[in-house]
Amino acid sequence: MSSTWFAAPAPVMQRVRAYFAPVNRAAQTPVLFDPSEQSGFNLDAPPAPWIGLGWILDFVRKPASKSAPLLTGIPASPLEQVRETLQAQVSLQFLSWTKLTMALATGSQHMNVLAPASDATPAADGAQAATAVTVQTGSTATSILLASSDAAKFSPGGIVAVDVDNTGQTGFVGTGISGAYVKQALTDVDYIRRVTFNVALIAQVNSTGLTLAEPLPGGAPATGAKAQTAVAFVDREGGSFYQEWSALFVMQASQGERIFFYYPRLQTMSGAEEVVNPLNGKNPAGQSRVLLKGQFLALPVTDPLDGERVVCYRSFQPAANALV
Amino acid sequence: MQNAKDSFYMALRTRLTTINPNRTILLRGAVRPGILVEEAEAPFSQLPDDVFILRWLGLGVDVDLASTMAAEQCEVIYQTCGTQSFGGLDRGRALSAMDEELMGMIQPSFTPKLNYTSTLPAAMLTHVFWDGPVISPIAIQRDRLSRTASVTIYSYQEQGE
Repeated sequence: MSSTWFAAPAPVMQRVRAYFAPVNRAAQTPVLFDPSEQSGFNLDAPPAPWIGLGWILDFVRKPASKSAPLLTGIPASPLEQVRETLQAQVSLQFLSWTKLTMALATGSQHMNVLAPASDATPAADGAQAATAVTVQTGSTATSILLASSDAAKFSPGGIVAVDVDNTGQTGFVGTGISGAYVKQALTDVDYIRRVTFNVALIAQVNSTGLTLAEPLPGGAPATGAKAQTAVAFVDREGGSFYQEWSALFVMQASQGERIFFYYPRLQTMSGAEEVVNPLNGKNPAGQSRVLLKGQFLALPVTDPLDGERVVCYRSFQPAANALV
Repeated sequence: MQNAKDSFYMALRTRLTTINPNRTILLRGAVRPGILVEEAEAPFSQLPDDVFILRWLGLGVDVDLASTMAAEQCEVIYQTCGTQSFGGLDRGRALSAMDEELMGMIQPSFTPKLNYTSTLPAAMLTHVFWDGPVISPIAIQRDRLSRTASVTIYSYQEQGE
């Protein structure tokens, strides 16, 4: 008689995949990952609003919570344990340089370098930008509707930044994803487009607007949004803003089992850092790959199930037919 | 372990028919996808060109696990002289094409384990999986270019195997 189960050894896997989703900073609401409903998702098409950031290297989880014995008696002996601190850290290396991976791997605001106005005074974050054009109603995350004269200012293969004007807003700014926290009103009308995550590659330009190669991470443009060409990205060592994202790391193992590490709140905890890896280990002076290194501090949430404060959820989806 | 070997071969064969359905071989009177297992055919005096040949070599076993794991080394050998219509001057391109087909065949690096001893293959409980290939430099023998890719295939032994 054939068996209907097997005893599964420890999972075997090659790499870890990373997914991030923006925490609503104003409402302090992380994005949920529900292992009962979402654990079977296609790794190439994560459920919204999770954004796949591909494979990562050197994924290291470091629990930093401390417990201490509660001593009693003479001589003192442990009666029980108490948790003194709750903390965890995560570090990893991203295998690509994108707007999002750069932002996650920097400890502060991550900015878009906007195309400059003619004869603008140079600035380290990019000079005064060329005038933004108005985005028309009906635009979506992948289609930016513009007047034909405005559309002509963009080119396929370029990068577009889409967000509202800075009119003196304070607090968290950026459509869909908070790109910065403004403590006091700023004068640069383009500031929000400098920090917005709503950037994408332009696939096509026609008389009605732009078709994007990928959806804007923050979703459809907000009412009153404008568009500008971005030519690069810049971040700084220093500053007071901390990126905060919900994170999900997935280990897909050989027998179909999956291990999920869900961090509701991860804040970047170090400045920008790169790791240089030679492509050929036998020739360290040869061509090398530059990887973005991310280090994160896990912040706690209160689990509504039982009121416990936790920083991470680890779920395991066993292989089919495996003994549990 | 034979089930793992069969499953690996059949996975690559199925994928090859999708990647390049024109890569075929006439063998024992039948036109088949251009991939074969050396030990399952009559001995060759000269390995055929323009097909993938699987040669099973080493074997390792880890019995200290909940299920015994077997690691079997497989060499994928392929060679070409190019095409007659180009006088063999396209042999480099032909080998590159086979390189790309091999890369396509080995991804994803797992496949369900099936038992092929019955006419209708029976699904087993586990998956066969493998490492990325270790690819050798091109070997040149007159106008023939050949290459070997070594792949380690892992599988868990199931009850009855």
